[in-house]
Amino acid sequence: MSAEKLIWVWADYRNYFQSRVTLQILARASVLAEKTNAAVCAVVFGDKVEAYVKEYIAHGAQKVYVTDDPSLRTYNVASYAFLLTALVKRFAPETLLIGATRFGQEIAPRVAKQLDTGLTADCIDLDIDEKGQLVQVAPAFGGNLIAKIITPHTRPQMATIRPGTFQELPHDDEAKGEVVPVPLPDTMPSPRVRCLKSELHPARARKIETADIVITGGRGMGSKGKFRKLFDLADLLHAEVGATRPVVYADWVSSEALVGQAGKHIRPKVLFSFGVSGAIQHTAALADARFIVVVNKNPNATMMKLADVAMVADANQVCSGIIRALKQRIRD
Amino acid sequence: MDCNPCMKHQLIRKTVQEFAENEIRPRAAEMDKGPGFPEDLMEKMKPLHYFGLQTPAHLGGAGLDSTSYAIVVEEISRVSAALGLCFTVHNSVGIYPILRFGTREQQQQFVPPMAAGERIGAFCLTEANAGSDAGGVETVARKTDHGFVLNGTKIFVTNGGICGTILVFAVSDTDPAQSSVFIVENHTPGFSVGEIEDLCGMRANPVASLFFEDCAIPADHCLGTMGQGLKIGLSALDTGRIGIAAQALGIARAAFDEAVSYAKARQQFKKPISRFQTIQNYLADMAVQIDASQLLLYRAAARKDSGRPFSAEAAMAKLHCSTTARMVTNLAVQIHGGYGYSREYDVERYFRDAKVTEIYEGTSEIQRMVIARDILTRPA
Amino acid sequence: MLHIIVCIKQVPMVSELPWDPKTGTLKRETAQGMMDPSARRALEAALQIKAGVGRNQARITAVSMGPPMAEEILYEAKALGADQGVLLTDPCMAGADTCMTAMILGKFITDHCPDAGLILCGAMSSDSETAQVGPQLAEVLDIPAVGYARRLELVHDCVRVERHVDDFMEVMEMDLPGLVTIDHAGESDLYTPRYVPLAGVEAAFNAGDIRIMDGKALGLNKDFNALTSSPTKIIDVYSPVTRKENRVLTGAVKKMVDTLFDDYGKIISSAMGKDLKTHDHEGDV
Repeated sequence: MSAEKLIWVWADYRNYFQSRVTLQILARASVLAEKTNAAVCAVVFGDKVEAYVKEYIAHGAQKVYVTDDPSLRTYNVASYAFLLTALVKRFAPETLLIGATRFGQEIAPRVAKQLDTGLTADCIDLDIDEKGQLVQVAPAFGGNLIAKIITPHTRPQMATIRPGTFQELPHDDEAKGEVVPVPLPDTMPSPRVRCLKSELHPARARKIETADIVITGGRGMGSKGKFRKLFDLADLLHAEVGATRPVVYADWVSSEALVGQAGKHIRPKVLFSFGVSGAIQHTAALADARFIVVVNKNPNATMMKLADVAMVADANQVCSGIIRALKQRIRD
Repeated sequence: MDCNPCMKHQLIRKTVQEFAENEIRPRAAEMDKGPGFPEDLMEKMKPLHYFGLQTPAHLGGAGLDSTSYAIVVEEISRVSAALGLCFTVHNSVGIYPILRFGTREQQQQFVPPMAAGERIGAFCLTEANAGSDAGGVETVARKTDHGFVLNGTKIFVTNGGICGTILVFAVSDTDPAQSSVFIVENHTPGFSVGEIEDLCGMRANPVASLFFEDCAIPADHCLGTMGQGLKIGLSALDTGRIGIAAQALGIARAAFDEAVSYAKARQQFKKPISRFQTIQNYLADMAVQIDASQLLLYRAAARKDSGRPFSAEAAMAKLHCSTTARMVTNLAVQIHGGYGYSREYDVERYFRDAKVTEIYEGTSEIQRMVIARDILTRPA
Repeated sequence: MLHIIVCIKQVPMVSELPWDPKTGTLKRETAQGMMDPSARRALEAALQIKAGVGRNQARITAVSMGPPMAEEILYEAKALGADQGVLLTDPCMAGADTCMTAMILGKFITDHCPDAGLILCGAMSSDSETAQVGPQLAEVLDIPAVGYARRLELVHDCVRVERHVDDFMEVMEMDLPGLVTIDHAGESDLYTPRYVPLAGVEAAFNAGDIRIMDGKALGLNKDFNALTSSPTKIIDVYSPVTRKENRVLTGAVKKMVDTLFDDYGKIISSAMGKDLKTHDHEGDV
C-alpha cells in the first residue's frame, strides 16, 4: 500500500448527462490534488468499460481502478456499495467524491455508513483549508443558506457534487494514466434487491425542470387566449412554459405546467415571468433561476423584487413586444 | 400573537391554513366576481369535515370545540370571507340549532347530509319588516292535519342560492306571539329561491330571498317543540356571533398582512413608506385592535366550550372584531393609496367584505344592547 | 400483519428563514414547523398500502427524531391515519448529522419494532436536502433499500418499486423487511399527500398520547452526544449573497423590450443557444 495521498472520484457514466458530472469532478479534483500533493483517481465498475477508462484519463485521472465484469452490467446500489467500500478499505483514499446524481446520492450514504465516515450532500464547491482538510460547501434550505462542512476525524472525506458545478477539463488524448484492474471478489452480497427492468427513458414531463429557458405566466396574462401567446414565445426561445396555481385552476393550461411547491421546481438560466404576483409557493420553486426577467403592472409585486430586469407594464403587451423583437433579432 | 397555545388548536390552524392557501387563495379573487362557489372546491372540502365542524363524529362531523370552530372560520375568511361566511352560517346557524334543539330523529334525519356537505344549511329570520326585532315576523305557519303550511318571504338569506336544508323562523297563524323554527328542504313544493342579491361585498356568497307559498311540511319538521322559536333564534345568534367575529378577524388579519408587506415594499421619497411615522402609527393601531379582537373572540369561544354563559362575551367579540375589520381594511386601503382602490388588489375586496360584519347577525348597535343588558342585569 | 414504520421530520415552514447574519445564528425556533413534504408523501404511501391490504392487515408507526415541538407532526401523522406516533427527543440528540440520525432511528426500530416489515422515508427533506438518512438507516438495520420510489406495491413477501432515476425507468423487487424512500413532489401524483381531515385532528388528540422516548429510554449511552459523535462538522453557515441588479424598466413597451435585448441579449442568446442581434440596428444594412 502506498503512502501517496489519493483523491478518488467514483465514475458515474450511465448516460451522457451523468458522464459529464464525473468529468467535472475530475477537473476540480485536479485542483484539490495540486494543493495537497495528491493523485487524482477514478473508480469504474461495470461491464466492458474500457472506453470510459480512457475518457477519464483524458480528463485528468492519473490512476483508474477498474472492476470489469459482466455481472456489473446494470447499476446496483448494494453490490456497487459493497465493492466501493472494500476498495476504500484497501487503498485508503483521503477523499472520495461522487456525482450527486440520484444513483450517486443513493450509493454514497451507504458507503459512508459502512465506513463510518462523514458525507456531505450535493456540494456546490470544494476547497482545501490550511490543515489540508477538504472543505465541503453545501446548500441547505432551498439554497437560502450555505454551510461549510469538514470531516475532521474520519477518512475518507466524502461528498457528493451537484452536476454542473465545475467545468470539465479539455479532452487530452496525450494524457497518461495508470490502470489498476481489480478483480471481482469471490463473495458478493446476496441480491436482496432484484432489478426487473431498467430502461433509459428521458422524461418528457421533466423538461421544464431542466430547461435552460422557462417562461412562467400568471393571472396577469389576462385570459386563456392571451396565455397561449406564451407558447408562441416559447417556440421562439426554445423555452418551456410554466404557470402559477390560479392559472392552472382557471384551466388556462394543464396542471403539468404548475411551477410551485406542489408542482415543478425549475432552475433555468433565464426565466421570463409574465403577470405573476409571486406567492411564496411559487417563488420557492424558482429559487435557482439564474437571470430573471419579470413583467408586471404592479411595481410592488413580490415577483418584481426577485428580478434582474423588472418591467412595469402589461404582461400581455410585453409578451407580444418580445415576440416581435425576437423575430427581427434571431439570426439563423 | 398566539391566543391558542394548545397544540391541538395550533394544528387545527395549520391544517386549515394549508388548505386555504393552496386551494382557496388562488381562486378567491375570481370567486368574488360572481355568486357561487366552485363545485370542485366544495367537493374537496366535503371529506375534510368543513361542513360538519361542530357536528359530532357519529353524525359524520369533526366534533370540534368552539375554539377550533372559530379558528377554522378565521382562517378560511382570511383568504375568502365569502366562503368563510358560507361555512359559519352552515355550521353555526344551519346545523347547530338542530344539534341543540332537535329531537334525536331530527338529528339523525337532517344532520348527516348537512355535515357531509350534500345539503347546505341556511337560517332565515330577516324579512322586509323584521330583522333584529323578531316581533315583526310575518311569515306564518298554519297547523294542518298533516303538519304545517308556511307562507311568507325571507330576505338576505346567506347561502340562499345554494341551500338545501333551511331553518325558517315563523309565527303561528292563530297566535302571532308564538314563534317556532321549521325545517324546510329545498325540494318542498311551494319553496323557491328569488334573485341573488347584488351586494357590496361577500359577492361569492349567493345571498338571496326565499319564498314560501303554501309550503307544506310534515309535523316532525318543527324544530324542537312548538313555541321555541325565539329561544332557538337567540341561541343561534349567540353562536353565530362567534362565527362572524372570527370571520371579521380573518378579514382584518388579511388586510393587515397586505398593508405591512406593501408598506415595506412601497417606496416614496426614496424610502419605504413604512419608515414614515404616520404609516407606523396606522400599523400599530391596526395591530393593537387585531390582538384585542383575538383575545375577545377566543375568550368567548373558551367560555362556550366550558359551558358557561357566553352571550355578552360573544356580543363583545362580534362588536369589536367587526369594528376592527372595518377600521383595519379602511387603513389598509389608505396605505395602498390608489392601488388599494383597484380591483386588482385584494385589500379592495377585504374593504368591501368587512362592512357587512358590522351589520349581519345583529348590527353593532344590537350588540351594544346585548352587552348593556348583561351589564345591567348582573347581580350587584 | 404488516408493520410499516414511517420516518418523518419536522422542518421549518418558511423558505426564507429568520437568519441573523451578524450573530451568525439561525433562529429556527421562531419559524413555524411543519411535516417535511417528502416525509408526508412517504406517509401517504403507507396509508395507501394500508388501505390496499385492509385496515386490520397493516399498522403504521410514525417516528420522528427532533425537539419536543416536533410532537405536533406526530399528531398530524395520526390525524392523517397513522396508528401511533413516537418522538425520539433528548438534548443529547441535538446536532446529529445524517449518520447519527440514522443510528438513533435504527436503534429505535431494532429494539422497539422488531416486527417492522416496511420502512418508509421521504427521499429528501426540504431543509437539509441530503437524501442520506434513508439509505444510511438501511445500512444500520442491515436491510435492503430502494430510493426515489414513485410507486410501490406489495407482491407476496416482497415489495415492488417503480422509480425514475437519472433518466432510467426502473422496476425493482425487494425482500422484506426493507426500506423505501419516496420521491419528492414531481411528475407522479400518486403520493400527493391528502389534506388533513379535521375529524382526524380531533381524533388524534383524543386517542392517546404520542410516545416520547429520551436517550435513556432508547438505551443510548449515558454520555452519548450526537453533535460530537457526528463525523461531519459544520464550520460555517452563511446566507449566500445574491446580488441582483433589480433594474426596473418603465415606459413604452417597445423601448423596454429593446433595452432588454440591447443590454442583456447575450445572456438570453447563450441560454437559447442561438445568435441574437443585441443591437436592433446592427446588421440592418
